[in-house]
Amino acid sequence: MNLRIESSQGLAEAGGMNQIDRMDRAIVNPGGADKSAQFGSELGKAIGEIDKLQGAADTQADAVARGAGNIHEMALALEKADVAMRLAMRVRNKLVDTYNEIMRMGI
Amino acid sequence: MRVFDNTLARLERALDVRLVRQNVLSANVANVDTPGFKPKDVDFTATMAAIDGAAHGEGGVALPTPPSLSGTEQGSSGLAARDLPIVDVPAGGASFDGNTVDLDRTMVAMAENALQYGASAKAAGKKLAILRYVVSDGQG
Amino acid sequence: MDFLTALHVSGSGLSAERTRVNLASSNLANAETTRGANGKPYQRLDPVFQSIHMGAQDEAPTVGQSPLGVQVSQIVSDPSPGKMVYSPGHPDADPNGFVTFPNVNPISEIVNLLSASRAFEANATAVETLKTMATRGLDITR
Repeated sequence: MNLRIESSQGLAEAGGMNQIDRMDRAIVNPGGADKSAQFGSELGKAIGEIDKLQGAADTQADAVARGAGNIHEMALALEKADVAMRLAMRVRNKLVDTYNEIMRMGI
Repeated sequence: MRVFDNTLARLERALDVRLVRQNVLSANVANVDTPGFKPKDVDFTATMAAIDGAAHGEGGVALPTPPSLSGTEQGSSGLAARDLPIVDVPAGGASFDGNTVDLDRTMVAMAENALQYGASAKAAGKKLAILRYVVSDGQG
Repeated sequence: MDFLTALHVSGSGLSAERTRVNLASSNLANAETTRGANGKPYQRLDPVFQSIHMGAQDEAPTVGQSPLGVQVSQIVSDPSPGKMVYSPGHPDADPNGFVTFPNVNPISEIVNLLSASRAFEANATAVETLKTMATRGLDITR
């Protein structure tokens, strides 16, 4: 747990939201079949980051439950996990809607 | 535009540093009658400037990633004192047993520290609430 | 350093100051005790305060940097001689008619009491401040 905060970019990477920014751009600029694989991997990475935030929140909550935790860190971790999960749900809903839209178009 | 931006990170850092300072000031108050005790403090502005310096790659104090971002298995009890410059408070005057704790100054510093902690916590909470509102499409 | 450690630090201060208050009270109560439990005049007692490290166990490598609480390492009796008062009829008078009274000065004991009270209050305020801080920290989540 000794990552050096060397740049604000690095901070966002650690925050996992950069993945979602990139994924967002991938949706906006599809650009062809070879991009679908890229999109898939971006999606996977983004989900991994969100999972990491959930894990961090769990770790903090566990620490508090054991009596060794830091209160504001726990609160912040929980809030961030909350925001990340909501964002993920919105993206997921959007993807499902888009998929249904495409299926409805017919041949 | 990033979702969890630098301001939020800085607020988190401020909360951690303020908590360490609270510990240090509480120690000064507990030892107000201990012979030979020299009070300590954390230079908050200098510490935050050093942290900002590290974030922009200018050297300075390098701190572990806040646990809310790193997602590792370790629990955390916050910043340890080894990460921050804790300095002795210069003695204000003579003392007959070597104890140089100025209780009134310390209590004032403690009140100020708690107030600033509350302000930073409020700011961080509000930022996250705004994010949550936006991300939830305006519903809760 | 976290909330728990700060609470322990302030708690140690409260404990130590309470001991100081108790000793000052005991000294005041026995200001006229010419024959104590050991048959000799009462000798006033003083607490000796000492700083102790109060870090969590997992901070052991940097124990020198954990916050300092306080403890009463020992209670010493003041060896200074008491007042000699000429009172030949007193049951504890020595062959020359002098009675040795305890070496307690009520005024300095009261000053001690007040100073310890003030320090106790300060530590109690520190605990309250910490509670407020913790509540604000928790309020980050809605």
